[in-house]
Amino acid sequence: MSNEKLDLIEKSIKSKNINEYEIFLVEGKAYESIFLKDKIDNERDISNFEYILRILSQKENETGIGLVRGNSLDPKEIERNINTCILIAKNNLSSKFFFPGEASFPDVSILDKEVIQDPVDIKNNLAEELISEIKQYKEIQSTFGRFRVHINEISLRNSNSLDVSALKTYFFIEFSLKAQQKGKLSEFWPYLFIKERNHLNFSKRVEKWVRLAQDSLIAKVPKPNNNATVIFSPRVLKNALNPVIGAHASGRAHHQKLSRFNIDDEVASDNITMFDDGLLDGGFRTNKWDSEGSPRQRTEIIKNGIFQKRLYDQKFALIANLRSTGNGVRTLTGIVDNGITNFEILPGSMNFDEIISEIHEGYFIEQFSDLTPSKLSGAFGAEIRNGYYIKNGKFENPIKLGNVSGNVLKMIRDCQYISKEREYFENTLFPYMVFNNLTVSS
Amino acid sequence: MIDQSFDQIFTTFEEISNNFKRTNQYFDILYDSLSAVFINKTPFSEDISAVTKTSGIVARTFDGTWKEIALDDFSNLNIIVEKLPKVVNKGEEIAEFEGWKLNKELKTKINPKDIPIEEKLKKIRDISDFIQKYDKRIVMCQIKYYETEITRIFVNNEGSQLRQVIPRLRLFIMPIVKEGMTIDFDYSVIEGEVGFEILDELTDTKLEQIANNSLDMLKAKIPPAGKFTVIVDPGMGGTIAHESFGHGLEADQVLRGRSYLKDKLNKKVASEVCVICDVPDMGNQLGSYFFDDEGIKAGKNVLVEHGILKNFIYDRKSASLLNTTPQGNGRRESYAHVVQPRMSNTYFEPGDYDIEEMISEIKEGVMCNHSYFGMEDPIGGGMQCTSKKGYLIENGEKTKILKSIALSGYVLDVLENIDAISNDATTLHGGTCGKGHADKVPVSDGGSYIRIKEVLISPG
Repeated sequence: MSNEKLDLIEKSIKSKNINEYEIFLVEGKAYESIFLKDKIDNERDISNFEYILRILSQKENETGIGLVRGNSLDPKEIERNINTCILIAKNNLSSKFFFPGEASFPDVSILDKEVIQDPVDIKNNLAEELISEIKQYKEIQSTFGRFRVHINEISLRNSNSLDVSALKTYFFIEFSLKAQQKGKLSEFWPYLFIKERNHLNFSKRVEKWVRLAQDSLIAKVPKPNNNATVIFSPRVLKNALNPVIGAHASGRAHHQKLSRFNIDDEVASDNITMFDDGLLDGGFRTNKWDSEGSPRQRTEIIKNGIFQKRLYDQKFALIANLRSTGNGVRTLTGIVDNGITNFEILPGSMNFDEIISEIHEGYFIEQFSDLTPSKLSGAFGAEIRNGYYIKNGKFENPIKLGNVSGNVLKMIRDCQYISKEREYFENTLFPYMVFNNLTVSS
Repeated sequence: MIDQSFDQIFTTFEEISNNFKRTNQYFDILYDSLSAVFINKTPFSEDISAVTKTSGIVARTFDGTWKEIALDDFSNLNIIVEKLPKVVNKGEEIAEFEGWKLNKELKTKINPKDIPIEEKLKKIRDISDFIQKYDKRIVMCQIKYYETEITRIFVNNEGSQLRQVIPRLRLFIMPIVKEGMTIDFDYSVIEGEVGFEILDELTDTKLEQIANNSLDMLKAKIPPAGKFTVIVDPGMGGTIAHESFGHGLEADQVLRGRSYLKDKLNKKVASEVCVICDVPDMGNQLGSYFFDDEGIKAGKNVLVEHGILKNFIYDRKSASLLNTTPQGNGRRESYAHVVQPRMSNTYFEPGDYDIEEMISEIKEGVMCNHSYFGMEDPIGGGMQCTSKKGYLIENGEKTKILKSIALSGYVLDVLENIDAISNDATTLHGGTCGKGHADKVPVSDGGSYIRIKEVLISPG
């Protein structure tokens, strides 16, 4: 079906004698069950389709890039979109640019064939399994939940003979589990995209959610500490590291002279080795090719604390006279950004329990209310939503409220321990990490 | 999708709607269309993206639970009638409202669609050049221009036949400054349901002020941590009203047993100086509209009146179950997103204090300026709001400029500790609100300056 749509759009583009063009097409289907408490409240079937055109207008030292998004296949609308795209290309001034061409792509699988065959059945069965798991715990209640199965067909064709497509399946879960005692309420509220069915692991997941909801009920406000040792969970690490390291490792930030990372500089503790891996098995952003058709790859960003390589999309690779590292990421506006794929940090030598036993006094953070560090400076401050106070090598009591503040760029230079255990969280595969010299205020 | 005129869409939708009798079940159908222009300009790059039009349709019925189909293709509408269930005697489960008709386009002084792309680009390049040349410490000025026009056409089996066209425009300017190893920024946003004329506000004096606001951040100190008397500016006050308090009032949270405010109706939840409202019918603000995505007319909702909780924020279903009248807060991000009770324009009404008087009474405190982000905690009643910058207040005077500040605590404690609200006219700031981390809708929030005693802050 996508090929017919591509053909239709391409035919219209070619009729206007346009030399350089790209058609990016997404056909999405989603099937969702929304729960009120533990009963289904809404069942949704969603189909959406969108295409994004890019047309280039070469100028002496620059390129005009036109970009238009649309979802109408009415010939008049296609023509209007192409004309708008040409007009933008004529007026836009971008650095010299051309589209990637044919390439050999690595072999990765991003689809679950059973989901493709019967998505509604899979969704219903998995949603039922999840609710049954939650109902086993009488001490907590589900207040609401959402479970969704997604199927996306993504196609890309350009004037350099590139013609690729991919089918991708993934899941979304959001649930709130409530614990209550003597009029006091608490919850654990997870929300996440999961790529693989075998990573859903409801039994283990729900057991952890229940424990966190119940512990939050007896959580105390943490003691203030200006020199705190803090353990970040993989989820928290994603929110801390992805925006900041992603920005400073990008070819874009280097070109803008805003990157704090220079090749071969020590930017992190020597126990940190980190990759951007567009081919990571089970990674949420894994694909053979990026949003503009460059092959995805595994790029070592930091090796034993030393900054190794930058991440490039086609635009900033051309500026730097290098090859794209497959880091062209399509944003909601359709524009391709120099972004990250999947981040992976190599495991440490100690398991999680051993690490806890080594800590005289510290704080473990499972989830902040919202951790949004400044991409540029790395500074952050966030309220603790679910965590634990550690005393003499043991979890002393759950904690909630109070703020943890620090700076991601400084924090990664002061990493004391990295756990052997790692967890997938959306586009990350991260261990638990222990950082020193953070501030806890309350 | 093959294009249809709005008259054709009304006719098609009514034909579909006629398959579902109101006495048996509630049914509605919504057409959603977006056109947009986005420009992202830095000295290093210029990205332009246009949406001439994307559109889709969502239809749903209630047969004890909602069943909903969203699609992007007019040629496939028959699946709505085929797939949505037909039932009997379920009509009363969603309260019935009298059907009404409206066909309204919000007109702006200068429709951005009438401005050629080259003229938009010239204006943005001029702003960029002006700021970039203002001071060599400005290493990069980022400008984001975003114009949208959203058309929503709604028909239900109560006889409602509604159409609205809402234009919105946002311009975001962020000069990034660098001196030695220090990199920082401040930002400015102008926005609303306005046209291209809003860019005339950006005089040279205004642009100099925007540049200077960023340059001032080079001198900013790390804020103190601990409990202080804090004054929040209208934007930060709005974030408290919206993120920290408003989300707890969304009535779906009440049905879920997930709101810490569930049993507080008609009880004191804030200092008596507090009046908090949510008003979708508020001309030209970013969160305004004529009707919501369930066909309910936009009204005014007084949430807190002199410290007493008076109302929750309802969609059609929660209003039915809680036996009240909704004010038009059932909103979708797009046809592909779910309807939920959502805020619109949420704000603190002004008080009777002079801002200078509020500052002069503080011996040691902090002012938080320029709300950056916030996050809700509907069940626990916690809050986290972060300002981009602030000022130390020492012996009744604003002194040193401070870097980003995180403010947190229990919402009800914070609201109870408000002891003064300034008499400045209500100022609203636009933004995008997610419920949790998804379903983003345009909103605004604000008020005037608010003073809070004994509130926890830390570096943000």
